Amino acid sequence: MMQNKLSFNQSSVSLEIIGLPDYSNNENKDQISIISQWKLIIIDKPLIEGKLEHLEPIMDAFYIYSNLLIKNEIPIYESKLIDIKADNLHIHNVVLKSSKPTVKPLILKIGNALLSDTINCFDQLNESSIVRIKKTSISKNFTKKFRFGLKNKVKFFNRIMPPFISICSLILLSSTFIYFYNPVEDKEKKELINPK
Amino acid sequence: MPNKVTIWKIRNNNQLRKSYLNNNIKLNEFDALIKITVEMSRYLYPYIREILQSKENLERNSVIWNDFYMRLIQLIKERFNIDSMRVKKLLNKTENDEIIIKSLLTLSFCISNQGYKKLKNFLIDF
Repeated sequence: MMQNKLSFNQSSVSLEIIGLPDYSNNENKDQISIISQWKLIIIDKPLIEGKLEHLEPIMDAFYIYSNLLIKNEIPIYESKLIDIKADNLHIHNVVLKSSKPTVKPLILKIGNALLSDTINCFDQLNESSIVRIKKTSISKNFTKKFRFGLKNKVKFFNRIMPPFISICSLILLSSTFIYFYNPVEDKEKKELINPK
Repeated sequence: MPNKVTIWKIRNNNQLRKSYLNNNIKLNEFDALIKITVEMSRYLYPYIREILQSKENLERNSVIWNDFYMRLIQLIKERFNIDSMRVKKLLNKTENDEIIIKSLLTLSFCISNQGYKKLKNFLIDF
């Protein structure tokens, strides 16, 4: 059976996805739901390829690392399969570890331009309607954690605003009553009632 | 954003500018600014990439980085309040490299169709 092949390109990086549609789900013949192989081609760097179970952790590693890099946190990502560490502000050290003990780890040094090309290739894959990949538990947890901050801030704002508005309106309303109350007039009235 | 004047007015909320307005940006205006930024960074991605690459290897190709850096500093001096400490930090050569590189990286990570959501998350978490 002929396998489908789809490439996502961004400047010097190309991500190739090879696989088959899931016919049991009545999918279109162009669709790729069962990924059998993928290749990450970076110009002037060794070819990175693997199976689906390798693609997801590698994508997660790149996404988490890029977030750490931008958020001024220590840019180090370490896992069983891949380590990414910043050598300096411009160079990132990627170490890909093979599951076979005899194979030496593959070390790549990529710059910021290649890092952003790679992230953009992964973004294209995530947004593709032709390739469907199931998210791993790591990426799910990460996005949940990522969204949590945003939701929390919005919730806090929504919680604090109603009491704040009510206090402000109370102060405004009560301050207008000051004009209706005249303490001198009140004293005169009391004197009239009790002439002592 | 009905017209360019609205963008200009919102842009003037930037407290780093020489003359700024102290209006609060509404949520929909904030969203619109992010969308414009993402569209612009998508359009300028090849150039952003070249700047990053040039900075990685200044010995081989320093022209693009130097041009960009000089123009950026020129614009900051022209339009920003240079007495402010934050602007001084932007102009300080030893400190501004990291700020500029990280800003360019953030823009280059947000050029996909979902880039708008990404950039919004980055800004809210900032």
